[in-house]
Amino acid sequence: MNILAQLIISGVVVGMIYGVIAFGYQLTFATSKTLNFGQGEALMLGALVGLTTINFLIGQSLSSFAAYLLMLPVVLAFGLLQGAVVEFLGVRQAIRTKSEAGWIMATIALGIIFKNLAENIWGRDALRFPSPLPEAALTIGPMRIQPMEIAIVLGAIALMIAVEVFNRRSIYGKAVVATANDRDAAGLMGINTRLVITFSYALSSMAAAFAGVLVAPITLTGATMGAVLGLKAFAVAIIGGLSSGFGVVVGGLILGVSENLTGYYISTGYKDVPGLVLLLLVLTFKPSGLFGSAAIKKV
Amino acid sequence: MKRTLFAFAILASTALTSAAYAADTIKVGLSGPFTGGSSSMGVSMRDGVKLAVAEINKAGGVLGKQLQLVERDDEAKNEVGVQIAQELINKEQVVATLGFINTGVGQAAQRFYQEAEIPVLNNVATGSILTKQWPDAKANYVFRNAANDTIQSAMIADEAVNRQGFKKPAILADSTNYGQLGQKDLTEALAKMNLKPVATEKFNIGDTDMTAQVLKAKEAGADVILTYAIGPELAQIANAMAKLGWKVPMIGSWTLSMASFIDTAGPNGDGAMMPQTFIEAPTTPKRKEFIEAYRKAYGGDRMPSPVSAAQGYDSAYLLAAAITQAKSTDGKKIKDALENLQTKVEGVVTIYDKPFSAADHEAISPNIPVFGLVKGGRVVPAHPEDIAGDKAVRIKPKS
Repeated sequence: MNILAQLIISGVVVGMIYGVIAFGYQLTFATSKTLNFGQGEALMLGALVGLTTINFLIGQSLSSFAAYLLMLPVVLAFGLLQGAVVEFLGVRQAIRTKSEAGWIMATIALGIIFKNLAENIWGRDALRFPSPLPEAALTIGPMRIQPMEIAIVLGAIALMIAVEVFNRRSIYGKAVVATANDRDAAGLMGINTRLVITFSYALSSMAAAFAGVLVAPITLTGATMGAVLGLKAFAVAIIGGLSSGFGVVVGGLILGVSENLTGYYISTGYKDVPGLVLLLLVLTFKPSGLFGSAAIKKV
Repeated sequence: MKRTLFAFAILASTALTSAAYAADTIKVGLSGPFTGGSSSMGVSMRDGVKLAVAEINKAGGVLGKQLQLVERDDEAKNEVGVQIAQELINKEQVVATLGFINTGVGQAAQRFYQEAEIPVLNNVATGSILTKQWPDAKANYVFRNAANDTIQSAMIADEAVNRQGFKKPAILADSTNYGQLGQKDLTEALAKMNLKPVATEKFNIGDTDMTAQVLKAKEAGADVILTYAIGPELAQIANAMAKLGWKVPMIGSWTLSMASFIDTAGPNGDGAMMPQTFIEAPTTPKRKEFIEAYRKAYGGDRMPSPVSAAQGYDSAYLLAAAITQAKSTDGKKIKDALENLQTKVEGVVTIYDKPFSAADHEAISPNIPVFGLVKGGRVVPAHPEDIAGDKAVRIKPKS
């Protein structure tokens, strides 16, 4: 077993999770220049709804793999709905009144409400999520990897490609891109930009909910699972650049791999430091992110 | 006039009955996390206490009065623990409080009992500091009947090095106070054996990937992993070891007996060893009786946390014996009685024969806990010979 290869592959797995959540940040930022700070909670809710669904399906004597596949559309639909609710309750008003900070407070508040809600419904214990794939690790060349970890990487890439293809090919997706480019002009062209923004929030939460059910089988599900992930993904979004879907993926990989390499070669006590140092460096020298295009705000 | 008199009579009679009711019972506080990550310990402790109190009340209560528990969920949060302490002391006017699972909550809440001169029987939390928070105070109102971290870390080091002959231990501990203080205690215990851990690794609560930590221990050539952390992260360690195809024994603090570790790690957790004051096995008639009564009252065939249940049960009997001896519910008199307990209390963990003194508030001595072993989803004795025959009940030596 090659140590470096093992560290990198484990970092890539964690990094892809960060990347998918950060991808969600990027989706809403592109259309509305706002973010859902409750993204970690969207992930947590998705995982818990997934847990209830999969346990119900397994109770119907389905295999855990079949139950997992059937559970996915439920969780994705729930994510879409949850995102739309966040936009409706927390963001719409702030955009209408052109409030600079209203949406920040509102999405944070909604995140806290969702967390309390989850604590009341699912309790405060960490719950085990049934794994759809065998848990024994596979040996691939110099590395050992769990089947679920491969599924995380593939699933994350598939989701991001699906959203990108939708945005570039379909007429609805073009409305999203147009709104992202210039909201006022898009509005004048007859695009319902308000609906597009709602839709981008729905997609964003869907990405988070999907990340939740991807990561749940290799960790535990519970009301607090989203807090750390949501925060790290935020750092990833800053590093990669909020205007670039490709950037957040690379940002996620950089953070995931650097955490593991620092943990091994320097000290596990300093695991989180390089990511944060990188965050500060990016904010100082290239505030739009490594892959972001500089935005000029006209006033 | 007639109506006012009537109203006055009603008022007076309700006041009288509630006063009479209050005088009939002795209120005892119970504080622990009944929800959240450490709830398996909190709930078992509470159930153990309730079982003992029900038995005591059935046998006629204490000083001719019934014991009444005032249960509060501290959610393992320091600030909630403090609020509860104030409520129990000032509003409920408890005569003593049993509980505390989390060292941090105990540390924050106990000072209020100390100031109010109301005894605390700490029955689960293990932080060494808890009974020594006020070294300069004239009196100390905090007692404990759980194996503290100094005892546990010494036992872990002794088991790994002396008994099993491992030479290259690696320490994996979480970044909380519990993990870091435990890691320090473990390092010191190893230093006394002229050993240095080959790796000392750290992780955060909620970390999803332990690859770096486990790889470092592996590459350092560790032949045993010593842990100080709580259930979910311990399970992540066991699972990461399985993923990397590396298996060395895990020996750690008593949290390796948490249901969240055993259930989440599944087969990967088999073989983990930890100090236990009580293992769910009918090794004495008293233990058999306790296990049967517990299962009858709460169902199931496995206690969520047998150690917490047994220590909770014993703490209620220790308090009852002290109140009986003090012939009073005055906090200071109960404290004096605890420090000089004349009756032997037969508990589940041990027979408490003068468990406390003015200088020593720890009922559990290093000779009492034995090692448990995770096997097939349960904790069984690691060395059955340690608790065989007349060694089943291990009693604190006379000082």
